[in-house]
Amino acid sequence: MVVSLYNFVLKLLSLSWLTGPIFEKELRVSSRRRRNYVLRFTYLALLTIFLVLTWLAYVPRGGTGLYQISRMAEAGKGIIAYIIWFQFIAIQFVAGIMLSTSISDEIYSCTLGLLMTTPINSFQIVIGKLFSKLLQLILLLAISLPILAIVRVFGGVPWGYIVSGLCVTLTTVLFVGSVSMFFSIFNRRAYVVIILTILTLGTLFALLPILAAMFLHSVVSESQFFSAVSYANPYVLLAFDTDRMMSPRMGGWPALSWAVHCVIMLVASALLLLLSVLMVRRVALRQAIGELGTSSRGRRRRSNTKAVSTASEHRDFAPPPRRVKGPAVLWKELRSPVFGRRKIAVLITIAIGLIFLFVTYGFCADENALDDEWVHILYTVIFLALGILFTIILPATCITSEKESRSWPLLLATTLSDRQILFGKFAGVLRRCLPVWALLFGHIMLFTLAGVIHPLATIQMGILVAWIVVFLSGTGLYFSVRFKRTTTAVMMNFGVAALIWALLPFVITLIGTIVRDFRDFHAFCELYWDTNPFVHAVVIIAATARNGGLRRYDWLEVGARDVSEATIWMLSCMLGYMFLGLFFAWRAKCRFRRNVF
Amino acid sequence: MIKTKNLSKDYGSLTAVANLNLTIQQGDIFGFIGPNGAGKTTTMRILVTLLEPTHGTAFIDGLDVRKKGKKVRKLVGYMPDFMGVYDDLKVFEYLEFFAAAFAIERKKRKSIVDGVLELTDLQSKRSATVDSLSRGMQQRLGLARVLIHDPKVLILDEPASGLDPRARIEIRELLRELKRMGKTIMISSHILSELEEICDHVGIIEHGRMVFSGTLEEIRPRLGIESKVRVQVANNQDKAVELLSALPQIRQVQVIDDYISVTFGDDQEGDGIIARTLVNGGLDVTFLQPEQLKLDDAFLQLTKGIVH
Repeated sequence: MVVSLYNFVLKLLSLSWLTGPIFEKELRVSSRRRRNYVLRFTYLALLTIFLVLTWLAYVPRGGTGLYQISRMAEAGKGIIAYIIWFQFIAIQFVAGIMLSTSISDEIYSCTLGLLMTTPINSFQIVIGKLFSKLLQLILLLAISLPILAIVRVFGGVPWGYIVSGLCVTLTTVLFVGSVSMFFSIFNRRAYVVIILTILTLGTLFALLPILAAMFLHSVVSESQFFSAVSYANPYVLLAFDTDRMMSPRMGGWPALSWAVHCVIMLVASALLLLLSVLMVRRVALRQAIGELGTSSRGRRRRSNTKAVSTASEHRDFAPPPRRVKGPAVLWKELRSPVFGRRKIAVLITIAIGLIFLFVTYGFCADENALDDEWVHILYTVIFLALGILFTIILPATCITSEKESRSWPLLLATTLSDRQILFGKFAGVLRRCLPVWALLFGHIMLFTLAGVIHPLATIQMGILVAWIVVFLSGTGLYFSVRFKRTTTAVMMNFGVAALIWALLPFVITLIGTIVRDFRDFHAFCELYWDTNPFVHAVVIIAATARNGGLRRYDWLEVGARDVSEATIWMLSCMLGYMFLGLFFAWRAKCRFRRNVF
Repeated sequence: MIKTKNLSKDYGSLTAVANLNLTIQQGDIFGFIGPNGAGKTTTMRILVTLLEPTHGTAFIDGLDVRKKGKKVRKLVGYMPDFMGVYDDLKVFEYLEFFAAAFAIERKKRKSIVDGVLELTDLQSKRSATVDSLSRGMQQRLGLARVLIHDPKVLILDEPASGLDPRARIEIRELLRELKRMGKTIMISSHILSELEEICDHVGIIEHGRMVFSGTLEEIRPRLGIESKVRVQVANNQDKAVELLSALPQIRQVQVIDDYISVTFGDDQEGDGIIARTLVNGGLDVTFLQPEQLKLDDAFLQLTKGIVH
């Protein structure tokens, strides 16, 4: 009796009833994956770089010892805030990536159905997967704990901020992981899951609060609104807490709403996990009885296809096949549907998006803000970000998807030249990117017709979009040839864009604040910023969106103030980036027949 | 038609193919046999220009696969050991796409695609999407794709793997038809009995090295295999054993159940002598059959089954 009670307590404490053997298996497998070590190293390296740069920015060299000591508390606050924010954002990204294949891998290696033939239940599958990844994320968080403890010695940082920051990070990561895992049940490709996760989080934490702010600004005060939003929005909450910590007037301690926020996030995660458990069970049972795929829609489509093919044996009901016109690869790329197979779902999403867009236009019109340049800058930046996102993804998938469907060797075994294949693929990328870029041009042309934006903006934005597309298509094609898996290629292309347009500008700006005395470096920093596509977009719209007139082009460093000078600068950037893009495309062509299998 | 000279392919420290010398005559069906990981697929991939050899050369119709890649690809139809499909294409579109990829004129394509569909008995599936086809149908489609540009050489990597017996027989018949059309076919398979029925020559490869190349008849002396005859007599089996043991050509006589297994000396064959001796000795011969060397036996004797 005592022994069995003892065993029961042991089992209860070991948590194996919660996760089953999945947790153990995941830990064992993850220890063999090189990418996990690369991830930890990269995380630690980035954390260290930011830490060093922040330290140098806050505690400048030179000056008396007393001055330096007086800066310590300020430096401590700054460093802690940097670490907390770095962890908060970086670990969300890592969680989204790590859990993006958690269920889909099991589905497509057909092991989910196998698991259902064992006593393991879907709850254990979901929790086992989630906890194993969370453990690794907690390990990443734990790496920074000694630094947080040491930096606190400098003084000025309350424990409450660190504790609340870590708790908010943990609950947000749990929520992000749950969202990513939920989407991984329905999507095979990790990058689709990652994008869906980003879009969902963007909608929840940015779009909905903005829309709510638009509609409620006359009903509630700004502070009331943000206070209410902070209960469900970790970004707003952490920004509030950081502001309180940095401000000497507020006493530094975070507001108690963080505890309520954490509970809300935990409940939201639990609900999402419950839904995932139910969905996993359905998919697993379907697989256990021999049906592949994830959705009933897929099943319906397959059965329809079979029905069509059976019918075609007797009566020619199926639409006749289309004839191949022009170069083979080009034809194939242009033939495939722009919106994929889920045409109706995509069209509904587009329709909802457009309705939202026109609602925001209506709201801006109501507020007489449609002739405000900042409104158009905001729209342009959002559309540009969307366009860049799709232009990152589509070229990176075009050859890896051939490799994954194993048709790549067949294509290479034909008499098609590498150049023909490359051009065909590039044309396909252009065609698929077109609808997304149409949003940006649609907005600019609409307001050009309305007399708000100068027509020149269309041409200058055309130059900008042209080099973005060529550059990202070149790098995307290269990574698509270089790697076997679509996810790796997409992540690499995303990494290149993030590196040159987000990380490097941020790092060199930090370095610029450290070496304030070196004017040349400062000028270099600003010149580098002036090559950034978002800076281009902001400068173009700021110069052209004022009742249809033209203003000065306010670059950070470049002295191109009038239209012709600004256009020459844009064309120079276009040349540089296009050269780089074409170089990558050429390297892709050279590697076509390497790593074929 | 196909010739390799000291062909080698290394993957880091692993040698997949080592000094492989191979000759396949025009119009032959060549069976390429070997255990898993022996180097069959690597050799085939080199021949179709998808892999570069580390050393040595390979020629298709006198063209160096390294230097004349595009011309070689025009001559060769390659069917890999997997089916590469474009999910969103129909059967006719899939074939026409490859016809266009092989630069066949547009006006000729329809008749060519219809021709290969007929040859592979896929006309009823021309409007079906490729991914809705069964495994057997997909294999047929693979063969149809290979034939689309009317290549002189067909290199087929395990074309019958995973098929049911009926589909295997149909593929076999199709290959015979292709041989009649004058195609040179190199085929690898694990179903050795099938190769035995259709191949003119076989090559057995292990550890990347060719351990045997020639006709099935040439394997016996190469392996030092003695010829055997199984005999059954209606009565007095002991007397039969006594008579046969006395013959100088015969090295061993063994009784296995109701049968007598007679082993001849080197290069000796003589089922005629056995029959004559037994009949002259007043015995009724009810069964007499030379034991044939099966490809499976040769494969087992020539290879050790060790994989890389």
